[in-house]
Parts: sequence; structure tokens; C-alpha cells
Amino acid sequence: MTDEIDLSQLPPAEPYDKARDEAQRARLLDVWKKPTGWRGVSAVNNSHVGKWYLLTSFAFFVFAGILALLIRVQLAVPDNPLFSQSLYNQLFTLHGTAMMFLFAVPIFEAVAIIILPEILGARDLPFPRLSAFGFWCFVIGGVFVCGSIFFGVAPDGGWFMYTPLSSDPAYSGLGTDIWLLGLSFIEVSSIAAAVELIVGVLKSRPPGMRLNLVPLYCWYVLVVAGMILFAFPPLIAGDLLLEMERAFGWAFFDPDRGGDPLLWQHLFWIFGHPEVYIIFLPSIALIATMLPTFAGRPMVGHSWIVLSAVSVAFLSFGLWVHHMFTTGLPEISLAFFSAASEAVAVPTGIQIFCFIATMLVAKVRPSVPMLFAGGALAIFVFGGLTGVMVALVPFDWQAHDSYFVVAHLHYTLIGGMLFPLFAGIHYWYPFVTKRKMNDRAGKWSFWLMFGGFNVAFLPMHWTGIMGMPRRVWTYQLSDGWGLLNMVSTIGSFVFAFGFLVLAINVLWPRGKHAAAPRNIWNAGTMEWSEEQEGTPWGVRSIPYVHTRYPLWEQPELVGEMDRGEWFLPDAEEGERELIVTDILDARPLFVQRVGGPSFLTLGAAFCLGAVFILATFHLWTWTLFFGAGFVAFVLRWLWTGTARIPEKTTKYVGRGITLPTYAQGNKSVGWWAVFITMTGDMTAFTGLVFSYFFFWTALPDFLPSLADVPAFGPLMGGLALMLVGWGMTIAAREALRKDNGTISMILLVGSVVIKTAGIAAWCYAAWAVGLDPTVHSFDAMVWMLILWTGLHLILDAVMHGYVIARIWKHCCTPIFRADVINLTLYGHFVAITVIVTFALLALFPLMMGVL
Amino acid sequence: MPELPEPPGDAPRVIDQGSIWILVASPSIWAAHFLISYWVAAVYCAKAPNAAPLMEPRWIAIGLGVFCCAVIAWLAWIAVKRYGGVFLIFEEITESSERGRDKFIGHVSLLLCVLSAVAIVFNIIPGLVLGEC
Amino acid sequence: MEHLFWVLLIGAAVIWCIVIGAAVYAQKASVPDREQQARHFIVWGGAVFPTVVVGALLVWGLVILKDITPNEGDRTIRVDGERWWWRVVYDTDDGPVPTANEIRIPLGETALFKLTADDVIHSFWVPSLGGKMDMIPGRETQLALTPQKLGNWGGLCAEYCGGAHALMRFDTVVMEPDEFDAWLAAQAQPATVDPEDEGYQVFTEEGCGSCHTIRGTDSIGPVGPDLTHFASRERLGAGIYKMTPDNVSDWITDLDNMKPDIDMPSYPHINGARLEALVSFLMSLE
Repeated sequence: MTDEIDLSQLPPAEPYDKARDEAQRARLLDVWKKPTGWRGVSAVNNSHVGKWYLLTSFAFFVFAGILALLIRVQLAVPDNPLFSQSLYNQLFTLHGTAMMFLFAVPIFEAVAIIILPEILGARDLPFPRLSAFGFWCFVIGGVFVCGSIFFGVAPDGGWFMYTPLSSDPAYSGLGTDIWLLGLSFIEVSSIAAAVELIVGVLKSRPPGMRLNLVPLYCWYVLVVAGMILFAFPPLIAGDLLLEMERAFGWAFFDPDRGGDPLLWQHLFWIFGHPEVYIIFLPSIALIATMLPTFAGRPMVGHSWIVLSAVSVAFLSFGLWVHHMFTTGLPEISLAFFSAASEAVAVPTGIQIFCFIATMLVAKVRPSVPMLFAGGALAIFVFGGLTGVMVALVPFDWQAHDSYFVVAHLHYTLIGGMLFPLFAGIHYWYPFVTKRKMNDRAGKWSFWLMFGGFNVAFLPMHWTGIMGMPRRVWTYQLSDGWGLLNMVSTIGSFVFAFGFLVLAINVLWPRGKHAAAPRNIWNAGTMEWSEEQEGTPWGVRSIPYVHTRYPLWEQPELVGEMDRGEWFLPDAEEGERELIVTDILDARPLFVQRVGGPSFLTLGAAFCLGAVFILATFHLWTWTLFFGAGFVAFVLRWLWTGTARIPEKTTKYVGRGITLPTYAQGNKSVGWWAVFITMTGDMTAFTGLVFSYFFFWTALPDFLPSLADVPAFGPLMGGLALMLVGWGMTIAAREALRKDNGTISMILLVGSVVIKTAGIAAWCYAAWAVGLDPTVHSFDAMVWMLILWTGLHLILDAVMHGYVIARIWKHCCTPIFRADVINLTLYGHFVAITVIVTFALLALFPLMMGVL
Repeated sequence: MPELPEPPGDAPRVIDQGSIWILVASPSIWAAHFLISYWVAAVYCAKAPNAAPLMEPRWIAIGLGVFCCAVIAWLAWIAVKRYGGVFLIFEEITESSERGRDKFIGHVSLLLCVLSAVAIVFNIIPGLVLGEC
Repeated sequence: MEHLFWVLLIGAAVIWCIVIGAAVYAQKASVPDREQQARHFIVWGGAVFPTVVVGALLVWGLVILKDITPNEGDRTIRVDGERWWWRVVYDTDDGPVPTANEIRIPLGETALFKLTADDVIHSFWVPSLGGKMDMIPGRETQLALTPQKLGNWGGLCAEYCGGAHALMRFDTVVMEPDEFDAWLAAQAQPATVDPEDEGYQVFTEEGCGSCHTIRGTDSIGPVGPDLTHFASRERLGAGIYKMTPDNVSDWITDLDNMKPDIDMPSYPHINGARLEALVSFLMSLE
């Protein structure tokens, strides 16, 4: 252990030297500039990728919004012959799907990628190429899913894709496969972004930004990214089960073969309800960042807001069954979920009252962002109150699947997400473009949207109470819903017109306008310290932050940063560099070198996209071909971009501080990325475990007699082999540490061989008792668990091969051995998977058989 | 053999020094109570609707709830200690020091303990009102 | 239940006004020196008030839940959701009485519906009489309704079931108990069909009987709705069209327009006298 740095006792900066400043700026520019011309698509820097992400999300929003208008046109009058039922079913399915998966979640990632590093006074996030990869996955998947409607094969099973409507190919066609595979692909990009953002908040803070000084926005980002990590994987597990049933006839959801349609609803809503908060919290985060600026004072109740964000994250995972109140579950089960659904109102209330308390002690400057924030409050509180109503089971039985719920969810999402987002657009537009938006147009767009929204959605509460169900393409004159629907349609067009005004205001060419002042709103957060155009590096030097609102409370800071008086003011080695800090107190730990522009990420995303798209059409040969291409791109990307051995082991970063240039183990960001990714992976696995126990609970005869379950012997032998293989990987890590590369490589090869033998023993055990996944849910579940373990072992083998090659080529050495450490970390998680799977395959049936 | 230069200070220290675990412990207890209650009820209603009355999910949920609240109270006590032994509902803890960071985490943990306990009480209510599946 | 609805509605309106009023007040009356007061706002307005309100609502909602879910009824009616119509069976002492797409229940009695589904998930909902309940393949759910008013209240499928989901409806007729008993007795009778009837000839020639049942004849197809007392129903096509000869005629010849995507094929080649005979035969099945 070396001595601690006391950041408050640093030596003074060197006196300003104009020539040095210019030379440093030139070198920084050289390193951070965006490639020109068509090569621009290889950019990975957060400000470029973030902007693309934002615009693409909005393109999908416009697409889904147009679908919504078409829906409203169809419903404007009774017995409307405009659209066929088949087209209408595609319209509403795609509207929900695109709004949720292609707009609401990606826009959070987009905004976070743009502003998070800047709020943290960082030059970029720690894995810029991962962000770029995620973005390209999102584009390819989104275009694939949305484009299907132009060929008349869009998904038409609703955005929730309930089985058996979606699982039985007799009831649903290609559209469902497009939905499943396209969205699985997009979920990959969300998880990539979550990993990036969690590591970003934990490890990329400016030196000195202790946990109690972290801006509220970052707390929300951390919480939401964590939620993504626990909410999306169960859906991925569900997608996997569903696609296996669709493509290969495995029995998961078909009641005639021991399946249960309700399993899908559980897996979907374990994702689906946290999803609502995954959408809502980031937008509230925007308000929590803007409000102090316009109030001109810090937020009242900072820790209360952190409390509310964290507790909402937890509670939101206890609400999923409130989407299933009408499925005939036991009352007592419904009651638990009703209780949690009511409890979540408390932290939400705290959140809102913190805002009101801040307004109370300050005079909030009127502005367009605050206008949108006020509108958001009015709409969201209403949506929240109807949410309290539908959380009560008796009320929900009446309102469920009626237009009341349509109104409720649009009030929460448009009030809780869209309006704060629009406020944020007005607020950060000068930050991104260095120009200011037109205020008058902003006010017009607000009032049009606010009025239009309420005209459209307020009547829907009543339409629903009158008995209009959701997802109907027509209704009869005698139903008496015509007038209300017409009003809703008119309102929706006013709303759309308001958005058009906003879009024009955003896209209006302002190149010739005078640049906006640097900190135009007089904000206190770091992102406004950014210099004017032509400085793609983000911050000139990485500051020492010791307050919550550095631009207010450290008035000298911006000048010092601009003059390059803080850390990493230069890029002598021609590398893109960040400072990685510790989680608790943001002490500087080491200098992280991140990747620059690259086509590798683009190629990897393209190949992975091709894999998912070709699998939709069951073109298996081509799927394998592109799968191999994907692996090749990723390996090349890792080989050239990660855990590079630096030319010198330490580097002077300024102000008397020298930091290492390489890190491994739990100090390195790569280790954390593996840890976090594998946490998500374990969550998906938990989804499978849940499915197993769900079947056991729901079906009296799920477990066959002991004679028909896989034999204990081969399962035990397989377990032993796989655990020995795991031990050998650990031994290989230790051998390398002791400077014994050859033994290390031999152990790694042996580990792969012996684990392969282990999984083969498991396959034999299942095969020997004649388990056929197309016959019964138990058989399908056993094979699914073996398949899951097997897929992890295939990946494990590829990684072993990679590390062997790294050791062989001296890229992974006794000193610089991050690769092999990360490999063993992955191995630990696989070992947990193996042990739990063994318990489910061997121990649980045995235990139940004995009982 | 040369060793890699260590970063200054003794990072990461998340478990031992920072006690961040307290922050997520109380809501995790709520989550555990919630899931166990739900699971016990589901298994009971599906498998053993005629078991002994004391095995009823309501009593398990209530008993477990009381136990969880006790554990949370203990956590809250740790949080208060970490918070400096002072029970203050309001304070903006903005000082830039390890002490400040500690107090902040203690404060948020304490609030989370209270909220988690309330949420657990909410979860007990169904058991008190409803008697059957 | 209705009580709950109005309390919630008015309560929501009041709370909304309080919250928005607080925000407006906070904006108008700025008190920079009273941070402590602002913090009480958070504790009392943001934490304590919601806890008390939603806690009370939770208890009340659960008490109501307990009351509205009786497991016994005066009469059991089995309803099976199909794409996209309803198979209805009345369990009586003399055995099951099958019908389709129309439910009649006596005033003031509790009808217990046992709900199943054959293909995909549907949901059984009579908005004016009470809540809805899903019909899930492989499971049986139940719902109790106790009508308090005479009339035809309509009902529909509330869970999206693909294709013609919007056209999956039924009539719910609440009758005086004695009228109901007479109706049920009539439904239990087989149809009186003259095998020589020209319309019935067409019916059998076209193979209608392989899908549809007319009790008392050789037509015992189990696939489609029971047609024994077809013309006694108020509507055609699962609660969609008035039961008139014209509509029945269109239904036979132009089904793709009347209700797209359903399993029954269109019979455009039945025309002229054959069509007329078939329609008048069907309309005679009262």
C-alpha cells in the first residue's frame, strides 16, 4: 500500500504559459478529434455516439407517434372501415413496442451517455467502444423490428406478447419471431449501456467527488442502470424459452404438454414493471438537475431524494403481479403485490415533495424548461393517483385492460417521462449545440402539447369506465363511446402539432446564430464547464471537486480547468486517457487508456445483428457464419483495445501526482465490467430457476418419478469434472503469477477439456432417461438448464483460448495479468451456475422423491 | 520479480470501510420478506391448502415480518452509530471528508431502514385482513 | 364497490389539488429563511401523508376484495373462450345445457362463472355488472356476478386474443327469475327439425353439421357454436350483428367481410333459393 493522496494539500499549479497551453491543446485535439468524412461512423466518443443515440431514439419516437395517430384516426368514429383488423393489430403492437424498447429506454441511455461524463468532469466513459457497439446494435435491431410493418409482417401479438397467442405458430406468424429476436438484440445493447453507466458513476468520478457529493443525476443513473441489470435479464430468459418453443417445439407454455401460459406473464412483468420506473426515474433525474439551477440554490433534501431513488428501485420489483390481478391467482398473492404497489407511492411522494420544498425556499426563475417541468408535475401526479387506484384489486378488476389503464399509463409516462425529457431538451440544447432554442416556440409547443395531451387522454378514463376494452380496432355506434373517442383523436392531433413545433425548434438551423454564453442558465453542475466549439476533449483538465455544485461553490474552478492547471492537461503519448477513482471517496487510482475510433465495434454489431435477423428466418448456416464473424470481431477488439501493456508503468498527471497506467483485479474497470455483466447473467439464470420452481408449484405432476429423472451418478460426475476444471483455471492464474507461463497454459487447456467432459456427462444423464424437450415441460426445463450451462462453457472455452493466446504472445504476463484474472472471475460465476443447476437437476427431484 | 505499481491509497474498501452494504441491506430484507411471503403463499395454496393453521402463509408472513423489522432496527442502530450517534432527520451533509461521506451513507441508510420497515408492515397487512387463498 | 370508486375518484381529485396547490403556493410564496419549514413539507407531505392514505386504502381494498370473491353461487355457468366466440354451458340438475355467445342470468341471484379457454388467453367481462376475469388455457378461473337490474348489459373479451379480438362479444341478458327458468327449460329442449326441410337439406349438404351441433338431429359437430336455438339469440357472430335474415344471409355468403380471420369459411356459392331456404331454416331454430 502506498501513501494516500490528500487532495486538499496539493502543490500549486505551474504558472500559465500560453505556448505550453496551445501545444497541449493541439495534442489533445489530435487525440480526441472525430474522424472526418465517412469515417465519422467509426467515432466512439460519448458526445458523438450520444448525439446519434438521441436522434435515433427520437426518430423511433416519431415513427411510433405516427402509428399512434393512425390508431387514433381509426378509433375516431364507430365502425370505421379505414384499417383492417390485421393492420390495426400490427399498429398498436408496434406502437407499444417501439415506444418502450426503442424510445423510452434508449433515450435514457442516450441522454446519460451525453451528459454523464460531463457532469462527472470526465473526458468520456470508461468503455467508449462498448457504448458505440450498443448504439449500433440498437439501430440495427430497431430498424429491423420497425421496418417489418412495411412488409405487412410486423409483430401483432401486443407489446406484451402473451403466450399461447405468441408461442403457438398456428396463432402468430413471422412477426412474433421478429419481435423476439429483434428485441433480444436491443436488450443486449441496454445491458451494455447499463454496465457502462454503472462503472461510469462508480469509477469515473472526478478526484474528490465523495459519495456525499455525487450529483443527484448520477445517483439516478446508477440506480436505473442497476435496475436494468436486474429487470432485463429475466425477459431475455423468457425470450429464450419462447423462441425455443416457437422454433423447436420445446414445451414451456403449452398446457397440453405440461407447460403453463402464465409463466410468460411472470417473466415478462418481472421485467415490465421495473421497466416503468427505468423509464420514469431518469426523467425525474433531469428535473432534479434542472430545478436547483433555476432555483439558484441546492436541492432541499438531497439525501431524501437518494433514499427515494434507491427504495423505488427495490420496491418496483415487487409490483409485477399487479399486471396479473385478473389471472385468478390466489387472493393472498394478489394482496402482497397490492401492498407493494401502494407502498411505492411513498418514495414517489417524497421525491415530489423535495421538489416542492426546494421551490418553497427559492424563487424559481420562469423559463421554458421549468414550464415543462411544471406540466410534468401536474400530469404525473394525476397519473400517480390513478395508479394508486388500479393498485387496489377490486378497482383493477374493473379497470384492467380497459381504456382507463390506457389513460393511466399515458399520464404516468408522458407526465413522468416525456415532459421532463422535453424540459431537458430545452435545458441542455445550448450545452450540446452551443446555441439557444427559441423561447416563444418553446412556450407554444408546451401549451399545445399540454392541452392536446389532456384533451386526448382525460376522456379515456371515462371511455374505460364505460367499458371500452384495450386493443380493439373497432366499436359499435350503440356502444356510445364515439364522442369521447372523437375528442381523444382531436386532442392527439393537437399534441402531435405541438411536438412538430418542438421538433422544428430543435432542428432549426442555427449555425449562423451567435453562440450561447458558456453557462447560460448559471447552473452549478460540472457539464456547463465545457468550453466552446472545437474542443472535443470535454474538459481541458480533470478537476478536483469537493462540493456538490462545483460551479457555484468553487468559483475559480472553471478558469483553472481551462488553463490546464488540473489533472491530465496533456496527451503526450497520443492516448485517450481518463482518471479512474475509487468508489467511496473518488481518490485517483490510475490512468485508464480508452479506445479511439474503431470499425471493429461496428463490424461486431453488424455481425451480431445479422445473427439475430438470419435466425428469424431459420437460415442456420448463415447464422453460424455471421456468429463466427461476430466472435472474430470481438476478439480482435479485445486483443487490440483492452488490457494493453503500457509503455511505462506510471505517469505524471499533474499537481505532483503520479499514477499507475495499468490496473488489474478489482481495481480495474474491466474487472468491474465483468462482475456487473455476470450479475446480469446470473439474473437471467435466476429467471430459469424461477421457471423451474414455477412449474413445480403450478403443476401437480411436474417432477416425474425418480426412475425418469436424470441419474444421480453421471450428474455428480459431471459436477465434479466441471468444478475441477474451475479449480484448474484458478491454478492457472496462480501459476502465471508465479512466472510459470507454460504450466499456466497447460492448465488452461486442461480446464477446457475436463469441463467439456463434465457437460457431456450431464447431456448423457438427460439423454439416457430419454428426456425429450418437445414432450413435457420437465424435459424441456432440464435440457434448457443444460443448454444454458453448455452455452456458458462454450464462451468459457473461447475465453480460455483467448487467454492462452495472450500468454503465448506475452500480452498477458506475470505482472500484467488482467486477462487471466478476469477469466477466473467469469469462471466463478459459471461455477455458481453449475452448482445451482446440479441442485435443480439432481438434488431437488431426489429430495421431493424421498418426501 | 517486479510488482505492478500500486495505486495510491487503499482502494476499493467498499465492504469493510465504507459499509455501503447497509445502504442496500434494509431494502434487500424487504425484498426477501416479500418474495418469501409470496412464494410460501403460492406453494401453500397450490400444494397444501389443508395443512395445519399455523403453517398458513399469513402467519409465516407476519412472523417473518416481525423478525425482519427487528433486523432492520438493528441495522438502523448501526446506521445511527455510523451517522455519528446523532439522530437528525435533516442535514445537508456536504463537507468534503471521509467523516462527511460516512455520515451521508449512514443518513441515507437510516432513512431506507425506516421506509423498508414501513413497506414490510404494508406486506403484513394482507395476512391480517385475508385468511385464505 | 361503487362506493370505493367514488371515494377514490373524489379523493384523487382532492389530493391532486392539494399537491398542485402546494406547488403553486411554493412558487408564489418564497421563504428563503425557512428551510426547516420546507423540510417539514417533505416529511409530512411527502412521507407521512402518503403512507397513511395508501395504508388505509390498502386495508379497505382488501376488505372489499374479501367480500366480492365468493366461491359459491346459486347457479354455475361454464364459459369457454374460443377464437373468437364463447361456448356457454348451464349446469342443471338434468345435465348440461349448451348454448353460445349469449348469457342469460336471473335477477338478484349470484351466478358463478367457471371460465376456461381452449386456444389462447381471453378475458370475460360484463362491464356493467362487475370485474373481469381471464380465461387461461390449462386453468380454470371463476367469477361471481350478482345482477341488480334487468336489461341487456353486453359483455366482451378484455384480453387481446389476436385477429378479431374486437369482434368477440356477447349479450348478457338479466331476466326475472321465472322468465329465466322458462328460457332455460326451452334451451334444454332439442330442436324440432323436419329432416325433409329444404333448408336443413342445404345445411347437411354443405357440411355445416360437421362443425355445428343441432341437438335432436344428426348434426353433432363440436367445433363451432351450438345452433340448436340459434334464432332465439339476440345477436349473430358473437354479439356483433342483429339476428335478422339479411344478416344471417350475409354471414353465410360474405363472412370475410362480416368477421375476418375466423375459422368458418365463407359460402359464396350458396345463393338463390338454396340460400333463402337455409336462412329461413336457421331462423326457425328458436
